[in-house]
Amino acid sequence: MAQGNLGIEPNVLKAIYVQMSRIRAVDKAIQAGLSAGKFMFTYWPMTGQECIPATIAQLTTERDYMVTTYRGIHDQVAKGVDLFGMFAEALGRQDGVNKGKGGSPHISDPSSGSMVTTAIVGAGAPIANGLAISAKERGEDRVTIVNFGDGATSIGAVHEAMNLAGAWKLPVIFLCQNNQWGEYTPIPDYTAGPNFFGRAEALGFRGVQLDGNDPAAFYAGMQDVIDHVRAGKGPVFVEALTYRMGPHAGVGDNYNADKDVLAAAKERAPLEKTRALLAEAGICSEEELEGIDAAAKTEVEDAIARAMASPVTPAEETLTDVFADVTCVPQRGQYPERADEGEPTGEAKTMSMVESIRDAQQIAMSKNGEVFILGEDVGDPHGGVFGTNKGLQTEFGKNRVRPTPIAEQAIIGAAIGSSIAGMSPIAEIMFTDFFGVCMDQVFNHAAKQRYMSGSATHAPMTIRVQAGGGMGGFGAQHSQSMESWLLHSPGIKVVYPSTPADAKGLLTSCINDPDPCVMFESMMLLFTQKGEVPLGEYAIPLGVAKVRREGTDITIVTYGWQVYQCLAAAEELAKEGISAEVIDLRSLVPIDYHRVLTSVRKTGRALVVHAAVEFCGFGAEIASTINEELWRDLKAPAMRFGAAYAPIAYSNAIEMSQVPNSGSIIARIHEAMKA
Amino acid sequence: MSTILTVPKLAMSMSEGTIAEWVVADGADVTEGQIIYLLESDKSTTEIEAPASGKLIHKAEAGSTLDCGTEIGEII
Repeated sequence: MAQGNLGIEPNVLKAIYVQMSRIRAVDKAIQAGLSAGKFMFTYWPMTGQECIPATIAQLTTERDYMVTTYRGIHDQVAKGVDLFGMFAEALGRQDGVNKGKGGSPHISDPSSGSMVTTAIVGAGAPIANGLAISAKERGEDRVTIVNFGDGATSIGAVHEAMNLAGAWKLPVIFLCQNNQWGEYTPIPDYTAGPNFFGRAEALGFRGVQLDGNDPAAFYAGMQDVIDHVRAGKGPVFVEALTYRMGPHAGVGDNYNADKDVLAAAKERAPLEKTRALLAEAGICSEEELEGIDAAAKTEVEDAIARAMASPVTPAEETLTDVFADVTCVPQRGQYPERADEGEPTGEAKTMSMVESIRDAQQIAMSKNGEVFILGEDVGDPHGGVFGTNKGLQTEFGKNRVRPTPIAEQAIIGAAIGSSIAGMSPIAEIMFTDFFGVCMDQVFNHAAKQRYMSGSATHAPMTIRVQAGGGMGGFGAQHSQSMESWLLHSPGIKVVYPSTPADAKGLLTSCINDPDPCVMFESMMLLFTQKGEVPLGEYAIPLGVAKVRREGTDITIVTYGWQVYQCLAAAEELAKEGISAEVIDLRSLVPIDYHRVLTSVRKTGRALVVHAAVEFCGFGAEIASTINEELWRDLKAPAMRFGAAYAPIAYSNAIEMSQVPNSGSIIARIHEAMKA
Repeated sequence: MSTILTVPKLAMSMSEGTIAEWVVADGADVTEGQIIYLLESDKSTTEIEAPASGKLIHKAEAGSTLDCGTEIGEII
């Protein structure tokens, strides 16, 4: 039959059916295996949604990037993820595409273009933007398609990502598989919006609604959309109408659905309709169709049998894939000694920390065309709210210094996606307090991508963040020290320099590091600290602490702006005859326990000081390790000292006393000396 | 090759299930896809299909409540 009658080339329709049949075979095998108790894992069925990825597979290749969700097995199958590797992953086996470390909700398979799968609703959209940035900057004609359900349209991440993609005309397709259900809640209960594609129009880019159950119509619609995006005409939001036959999680029917509605939806189900069409139109004989279905079943059975035979990923794998280098993982009893940066030779110049940060970025951007900066107000003339990027946009252009909307999830997601594609983004977050609005991207995605993917992919990005506190006048939401949130999130490295030279050296290492890194920049130090900074490329290895002042009676372990409070305290204590050694950690993860323990072994006493709240703070962690490792050598138990358990107050009198200062540090050291 | 039947975990919250009724008698032949028993959990009943064809052997009584993963039968 001619295309004119069908609206689609017969061989394309047949190819779509082949993919639908493979998806159905996978779906049936999973449901049967779960029902029989053959295996146990959580399954989010996509029965009824087969047509969408089966059709897209005809219009894209493995060069095109895909991001999807936990309800994305159909997307993975059609994208070309090897079924053996996929099943082994779902079963937590060694031969899984991600070594059994991510499971089916976190498939990452760059060989097929399935880059990121997230189990956080809507969180893939900001990351897809980053993948799209890499394609655009490299002049590649790849499109990035991010799949999510209609339920995801309610979350902020999707809105932030759509807005950024529109503003930057990114080659990304927001593919909303509108299956009428947000988990267990139907559409009219969670939005008054009449549709979803209209939201794109409101943000100034193209939105279309397509029948995601009709292969001919969907193929034609998607061909037009993909051509538009490939041609560089900006993003498109596709609302693909379909219906989810299954429950949110588990097996069987969607038991929340009205029986009549479900029955009607089954009538419109794409697989059965397409199969009938192929037969009626004389494209395939019943025998051929049976052959397609049988081949799919055999492929799936073989994949499952081999996956079941693959060994369960063993406990010995616990710490691999947290970082590229396992010695960066904090482990009891493992305290590697890392070589320090050595004495800088060559020329140096006096700089403030603002200038040294700018210098590190300028050098990194000159050396590597894939280093770029993004964040709020980072462009010239100001170059960021503190001027740390001043002149860089003028020098490197608007594509490499990108001022963003006020949307931290979009900023971090764009950095994650572009770094997964191999770029080296530097995302600036204006205050550490704002981690509160992007923490999902930071700790669920940037930090975990390497681990969840079994190192198939990773996010070598840098976040620079300014930290207030100790200055007065910024109040409770611009003055916090939130480093412990990050330290408690495995997979992210954290540095906190106290001098201009360290800021340059650590930032250079962060930019070059294979793992996501966060650098804290204290507002107390950005302008006040001036020092000699080596010119040219200068790196300080991560995980190397520095002794700022030598002493014999007590070791003070600290970092960031508290280094100066501790040095002032040590100066005063010297007058009393107490000799304090001050160690500046510089790098919090990886931590240099070797130099800390070596010092405390000598002094026999230790106090850890930080501006962050003392309760459940980093000081407790370090003090505990010192006590466990050195208790026989200690003259007093190691102690910690941080801020009082209260938000930072606006009152100057409260703020100056609630965070450690040289006077209160001296008082705490007197307690340690008495013990 | 025989297929072991165990109490499935059908939903995230499910930890045990009750065999409400064996639809197919012990020792009878079943074909893949045929409903073989009814499983009750969280006050809902699910029809469980045979994952393979063959002779069904019961290994647990109707009415018994068992943890997910417990063996309840076999298809040989």
